[in-house]
Amino acid sequence: MRLTEDEIYRSSTQYRLWSYTADALQSLRSSTNASAAQRVKAAVKRQREARRESAYNSDAEKRVNGTDSGAVTPAITDKEVECLTVEEEQKIVNAFCGQAIALGQFLEFPINVVATGVQYLKRFYLFNSPMTYEPKVIMPSAMFLATKTEIFHMTAENFASRLPNTTAEQVLAPEYLITQALRFTFDVRHPFRGLNGGHMEMAAMANGKAAVLPSANKTPANLQQAMLKLPLEPNGSSSSMNVRAVEKRLGEATAKASKTLKTAALLTDVYFLYTPSQIWLAAYLLADEVLTLFYISSKFEDEADPSTPSGISKSKVIATVRACAAMLASHTSMAHATEDEIKALEKKEAEEVKAIQRKLHYCRDPDKMDLVKLNKAQKRDAGTDGKLEESKAKRRKLEREKNEKEADEFWGPELPKENVTGK
Amino acid sequence: MALSPLDSPKPVPNAAKTITAKAKALTLSNNAASSPSTHASTPSSDGPQDLSEQLNDQVRRKYVQGGRLGEGTYAIVYSGHLVSDPSTLVAIKKIKVNAEYKDGLAMDAVREVKHLQELSHPNIIKLHAVFSTRDQNLNLVLEHLPLGDLETLWRNKDVSYGPADIKAWAGMLARAVWFCHENFVLHRDIKGNNLLIAADGSVKLADFGLARSFADPYTKMSCNVITRFYRPPELLYGTRHYGGAVDVWSMGVVIAELALREFFLPSETEIEQLDRIAEVFGSPTEENWPGVSKLDNYVPAAKENLKRPQPLMYWKQRFGMLGDEGIDLIRYMCKLDPRSRATARQVLEHPYWMAAPRPTPKEKLPRNAGGARKMAEDLKRKGGEVEGEGRADKVARKLDFSALKR
Repeated sequence: MRLTEDEIYRSSTQYRLWSYTADALQSLRSSTNASAAQRVKAAVKRQREARRESAYNSDAEKRVNGTDSGAVTPAITDKEVECLTVEEEQKIVNAFCGQAIALGQFLEFPINVVATGVQYLKRFYLFNSPMTYEPKVIMPSAMFLATKTEIFHMTAENFASRLPNTTAEQVLAPEYLITQALRFTFDVRHPFRGLNGGHMEMAAMANGKAAVLPSANKTPANLQQAMLKLPLEPNGSSSSMNVRAVEKRLGEATAKASKTLKTAALLTDVYFLYTPSQIWLAAYLLADEVLTLFYISSKFEDEADPSTPSGISKSKVIATVRACAAMLASHTSMAHATEDEIKALEKKEAEEVKAIQRKLHYCRDPDKMDLVKLNKAQKRDAGTDGKLEESKAKRRKLEREKNEKEADEFWGPELPKENVTGK
Repeated sequence: MALSPLDSPKPVPNAAKTITAKAKALTLSNNAASSPSTHASTPSSDGPQDLSEQLNDQVRRKYVQGGRLGEGTYAIVYSGHLVSDPSTLVAIKKIKVNAEYKDGLAMDAVREVKHLQELSHPNIIKLHAVFSTRDQNLNLVLEHLPLGDLETLWRNKDVSYGPADIKAWAGMLARAVWFCHENFVLHRDIKGNNLLIAADGSVKLADFGLARSFADPYTKMSCNVITRFYRPPELLYGTRHYGGAVDVWSMGVVIAELALREFFLPSETEIEQLDRIAEVFGSPTEENWPGVSKLDNYVPAAKENLKRPQPLMYWKQRFGMLGDEGIDLIRYMCKLDPRSRATARQVLEHPYWMAAPRPTPKEKLPRNAGGARKMAEDLKRKGGEVEGEGRADKVARKLDFSALKR
């Protein structure tokens, strides 16, 4: 009746729905990008045709009053819309994931709220393109949803009031889209608790109080002895530290790994590709390789290439952790460089993102521009109980449009508010 | 308005087609039956559907909604079945939109969906799917559990049951709670009427609207959880840090109720609840519960009011159905001090389960009186209700509509 952690993890939605191979992840993103681009092109084409038609058919006045959303090229041209590439989409989503972290820090959210919010964003953009839904709009909403699922609740009103130029309505409008894109799975498994647990376990080892796996065939005393002699660097000569020194070493490694988990781990694709335990071990490996390899080895017998009772070889575990570490290390925040160099790198990235945003401005899906309005329209058309059939909704909409049109024809279009009040 | 993107012509045949193809591929990988009717679907008022909208629609189209089974404070439950197989019954729990709640998706729904998506166990209600309808309501497709709940069972005087049956029900409950805790989930509302009974007689823990993950150390949790009769003393004293022990207390009370066939610790207020507990288990003091005086709402009993725990005789007289081991177990589950209370694992390791009698196999467990007859009655009544509901709804819609026009 004992459940292994592996069994528990395999039953999670993170494993069942949100874990991918690198290839599957890439192809999912490509197809999301392709279908979004197609939609943008079609919608823009439709819009241009409609505009051209109205230019022919209706009087000039109507064109002036038309509430053109303005995000598409103002001039009527037949130039093909230039859409974002997958790489550009990735860059812009990642930039907003970075902003989500900054927002979380500013609002003093606990790390699990921030981390969950960031993963919601990343999951959302596996199935949606920034061209369809702007990250600027989705990000705060994803963070707000995370405050609910991670039980750090505040009202939408309060949340919005702490963001620049944001209303509660704007925060809530995409919530529903997000839950749908998340396929109604809200649980995100993070590596933070694993890191803390690993730290405590290693501290116990240093004190000769390790709880040893029966299969590993080791004693707490010989683990402690080995730990005190660990070299400081990979391939270095063995040292002789006292318990206090090892504890200090552990503290430093954990702090460094923790920082990696709060930045690079959230901003790369490791959550899609690796398990939480692989992620924290990878972060630890980057902080102190010798300690990490020692810790992993403590779980196995001392043989050439031992395996766990369930048949997973030590070399496979280490290879996976190393691959995950390489992905973490590839993030800008992890670059082996001076602070100035990193700043320069970050500045360069920020400029790239700005350029992409300019490009995005011209390839937004015009149908999905105003989420607040869309949200209202959807609720209105559905009535109050959702049982309204589509045909009825359609009929009602036609009727409404007809009425509007008739009213317009009789009274003329509604006057802008400024004119009414005479200002 | 004439040029607003909302009113642009649709659908776009080309785009729609590729999206459909892709959604189908994705759905297949998600184990859902691909639905050939996607093409026929009328796009909503805002242009062609999103990929995720299509996935959602495909889930929705797998089920047929039937009559209304009941209504709670935050949801309406309907019966339903699979389109592809009308004999596969489900319950569809439709989360009500609360006009008072201004923060979007309701917290209860978030909690329930979050945890049920992760928990898969024979004694926990199965969440088959979640989909949304056009009004942005969440619909939870849940396992069909037609045989009532443990509370209606002990209340039902037409049903007689014995020690082996109690052990079977208690065992299923204990396994469910153990599984939740093993997955770091606190249920926080265990009680007889959240323990539903499936057609095969098995007990299923339901209603995860108050559930949450175990908190990190030092993180405060709400103490205003668990229905009063089942609330452990530490919560009544206002503790903000707790673990699985709160669920274990509730579980102990539920098992006691099965043996008593009445409420074990009924009360009108929280103060009275503490009195009821003290009458049975003694007044909490630093002696029997080190640290209790530091809890926020703790009020020490005056010397003359200090109650002593009931002697073993009391237990033997009232809980003969449980046997000596069973009595030992519920007293272990209801220790005042949560730190010396049994954990869910210790509950499962208790000698009660190994002692005679063996638990009744679930197929042979007594059921709510004349199962089929009662169900038929229910169905008849519900049919009428649904009729009425439908008419009322239409009226409401009309009013709504005219208001909208203006």
